[in-house]
Amino acid sequence: MGNRKVKKTFKRRLSDFWESFCDRVKYSLFAINEIWQNPKYLACFIISFLLFLFILSFFKDGDGNWQLLWSGLAFDRKITVLGQVCVSMLGNFVSRYGLSIVLISLLQALVIILLVFAWRHRQKDATIDGASTGGIGAIFGFIALGCPSCGVGLLTPILTTLAGAGAMAMAETISGIFTVLAFALLFYTIIKLGYVNYVTISAAKATKNKEEKNAKSN
Amino acid sequence: MQRVIRIVAVCVVIGFLVALIVFNATKPVDFTPWEMAMTKGDKETAKHHFIMYTDIFCPYCDKFSNALRAHAEDFQKDYIEDKNVFFEIRMTDVNYTYGHSNNSRPGGEGAYCAAAQDNFWGYYDALLTKLYDDYHSKGIGVSKDSEHIPDLPDSYFSDAAEKGGLDVEKFNACMESDEMLAKLDSNTKRAQNALQSGVPYFVFDKYTANGFLGQWDAEGYDWEQAKLLLDAGLASKQ
Repeated sequence: MGNRKVKKTFKRRLSDFWESFCDRVKYSLFAINEIWQNPKYLACFIISFLLFLFILSFFKDGDGNWQLLWSGLAFDRKITVLGQVCVSMLGNFVSRYGLSIVLISLLQALVIILLVFAWRHRQKDATIDGASTGGIGAIFGFIALGCPSCGVGLLTPILTTLAGAGAMAMAETISGIFTVLAFALLFYTIIKLGYVNYVTISAAKATKNKEEKNAKSN
Repeated sequence: MQRVIRIVAVCVVIGFLVALIVFNATKPVDFTPWEMAMTKGDKETAKHHFIMYTDIFCPYCDKFSNALRAHAEDFQKDYIEDKNVFFEIRMTDVNYTYGHSNNSRPGGEGAYCAAAQDNFWGYYDALLTKLYDDYHSKGIGVSKDSEHIPDLPDSYFSDAAEKGGLDVEKFNACMESDEMLAKLDSNTKRAQNALQSGVPYFVFDKYTANGFLGQWDAEGYDWEQAKLLLDAGLASKQ
């Protein structure tokens, strides 16, 4: 009698899911805010962001830079190629395509600090889950770079090798899908890891409060 | 669900790596010129062969071509003459084939009509200048995110032919008869089968590269980028 389950309507389920999702987003933001206040994590975030921005900028126009680095060019000219990539990092902030690269780099950096925090607080399962899902998001974001049909995209060789030159007609669409998948997976990872870290932070705070109370009462 | 995602991701990564290996493996390139009118330099005495697969309505191709045009004397002296380079353009309409620009077809057809009059370079220079003045300089048709160039009338190409010093009546007759379409289609197919990539695609002796990393309106920058590519090509044969 007491085990009888009440069947929820679809609307109710959707509403519950939305509420739970909003809560998790809220808790994740709280955790991110807490983690950011630690200078070490902030530095880690900035370094990760710049690193990802550099890598994505390096490959955003296809494999041209890569080919130049592996060519017979003199060493100083190869350094020039790397220098130009650094300059092009700034150029990302003034175009729609560039902004998507900046955003993916920011999300990646956020995933990294959340992963580091979870790992340092012995959240092994969350770290593994986050690393795999975030990694998949990173791969999708990386592959979707460039303008495949223009010959400047990392998706181009995959499409043409696996499905022939005719598949290039769909390149833009597939690239768009990969970009959306990359964002979705990165957001999912951030919310999930953020929530786990929130629980860790809250538990640590509660323990600390309890200890302080005990110390005062003693 | 997560296991499925992981399996999919592993497959994607493996596919990506296999594709990169296959793509980067040296493919035999046929260095027999497609259209002698679309070349610069002397094939018989040249020590190097530089091929650019292109489409007139591909913005990255136009960036490279504009860099060479802006430094035509340097390119002619430093590469064609001093380094004994034979430069060849292989014209396609891949952007039409991939559904990105209807203009690619008449643009490419016009190139072969101009080549039939042995004045490809006149048409090419005039059309690129017109495109730059009318669209590229205004930020239209410069990247995949930018506003697209609208479908252009036949008169646009005739006008370029006239400015390029071609016999316009002959050019218009060639365009109306569509006699060059078969050649354009066949060459586009050859390019697609050979490259497995979009354009621009560069083959310089043993060096190959896709895409061009220039920037519109950056004085001298595109030429520096073009020189990097050209010098990487030259170094590949040493």
